[in-house]
Amino acid sequence: MAVFQDVEVIRKVFVDLWTHLIEKTEFGAKMREADLSVLYVTKDPEVYMYVDGNGVLFGEEAKARDAVLTMAMSGDTVHKFWLKKLNVPKALALRQIKAKGPVPKMLKLLPLLKPGYELYEEACRKYNIPTDV
Amino acid sequence: MEYFDISLQLTDEDIELRNAAHKFAEEVMRPIAKQLDRMSPDEVVDAGSPLWTFLRKAYELGYHKTLLPEVYGGLGLTPTQIHLINEELAWGSFGLSVLLGVCAFPFFAACLTGDEGLIEEFVVPFCACTDGSMRGCWAITEPEHGSDYLAYESFFRDPKIRGNVQARLAGDEWVISGQKSAWVSGGSIATHALLFCQIDPSQGMAGGGICVCPLDRAGVSRGKPLRKMGQRDLNQGEIYFDEVRIPKHYMFCEPDFYSQMLEMILSSANAAMSIFATGCARAAFEEALKYAKERVQGGVPIVQHRSMRQRLFEMFAKVETCRALSRAVVNLNFNVSPPLPEYSLAAKTRCTQMCFEVAHEAVQILGGNGLTEEYLTEKLFRDARASLIEDGANEALLAAGGHIVAQTYPRSAAEVFEA
Repeated sequence: MAVFQDVEVIRKVFVDLWTHLIEKTEFGAKMREADLSVLYVTKDPEVYMYVDGNGVLFGEEAKARDAVLTMAMSGDTVHKFWLKKLNVPKALALRQIKAKGPVPKMLKLLPLLKPGYELYEEACRKYNIPTDV
Repeated sequence: MEYFDISLQLTDEDIELRNAAHKFAEEVMRPIAKQLDRMSPDEVVDAGSPLWTFLRKAYELGYHKTLLPEVYGGLGLTPTQIHLINEELAWGSFGLSVLLGVCAFPFFAACLTGDEGLIEEFVVPFCACTDGSMRGCWAITEPEHGSDYLAYESFFRDPKIRGNVQARLAGDEWVISGQKSAWVSGGSIATHALLFCQIDPSQGMAGGGICVCPLDRAGVSRGKPLRKMGQRDLNQGEIYFDEVRIPKHYMFCEPDFYSQMLEMILSSANAAMSIFATGCARAAFEEALKYAKERVQGGVPIVQHRSMRQRLFEMFAKVETCRALSRAVVNLNFNVSPPLPEYSLAAKTRCTQMCFEVAHEAVQILGGNGLTEEYLTEKLFRDARASLIEDGANEALLAAGGHIVAQTYPRSAAEVFEA
């Protein structure tokens, strides 16, 4: 069974997470500086989430944006990533993550996400999302 | 000579990077490659060899880190810029370009893991290196396992076939023993290897692992560098492992995704080879064109002969085809993860074949002069010939590509981009 049963829960978790990263860490400034944007496309549940240095958008608004990077994966893979339980090269090799966009930009993004891991665990506790995956 | 680029998308920065790389290729690489080509393999790697001057200058300018992202100190180039620079470097020397490529290979792979420990220990220092003192190699080829051991043949999973390099886990360390073949590019001088080894023999060659292995560890020794027909400026030699111990986390890929990771790494390597082949083909075409304008027969330069113009135009068209295909594939596979290997295989096999044909024709146009060491064409021909086998013999790569196409053609955008 998929970890995320409810699209609304994903929205709440990630609005909090991205807003914090953008406003309280160097993530926002670095994303703006690098003119970097990411469109996350997840299935189970189906969610379109667009993030840049200014904020986060969902659904049709997200879909309409032209992102530098597009990352497609299942909701469970997203969950494992933020819990630091995902072997990223393995997930890429096994096509659990499909990415489009320049690899150097993708690598630039990864270290900026670090402060989000702790926040995500807190969010999981808050919304009763299982972390024993 | 400078060429006209049919892409209308190049930026001023792209053109500056290309021109700077061309200057380096012309002023540093060509003269040093010529010297190295005439030396014995032992002399090439000796302390006093001009090889070290080349490496120092290349590292000073950052050409060892063209593949690496800015965030760790790399050049953070776009795929098009990677292509532009590497075509120029290969115009200067095919072999030295491959050497620079393999110098980066363990560090590039470590970077892709996202493992903070590996990045801090290997990637950041490599990017900061300006004297050529950190050098990688790609240790995959084995005495009993070469191009035929791509992941698509049934015997890839035959447990009766044992890898020549084995790794076993002992507590928190991997213990590695065995031999890599004489074809390890950069193997004679590397400080670090991107090492492919067998972890689980019950899965045959599919039971492999990939690690970053520092070569200053106890138990590592080397064979003599190899004397070969072409790319003599690229040192190649055996590496032996005798109970060599590395920390567990250096092994970033294990059998559960070894085949897929092998495919990803080959996709990058094959795409890179297609760029180098483009540079070498262009060099050969330009040598032939220059000669045809200077060489007088029947009272006129031979370029005025109708058949010569046809032959030169065939060469020109092949160079343009090489560039178009290799750049398109680099732009595809450096923008899509995981890459689509059939396109890299198409680019490697086509571009090296056309490179060889262009170099062969250049020798023919130069006639007797083309056979002599007085003219660069002779070296370009030998270098191009080596590329038909290097990084996978083309026949084996064609079979691999055919296997993939039979299973995946036509790929849909959904398959490539959607979860």
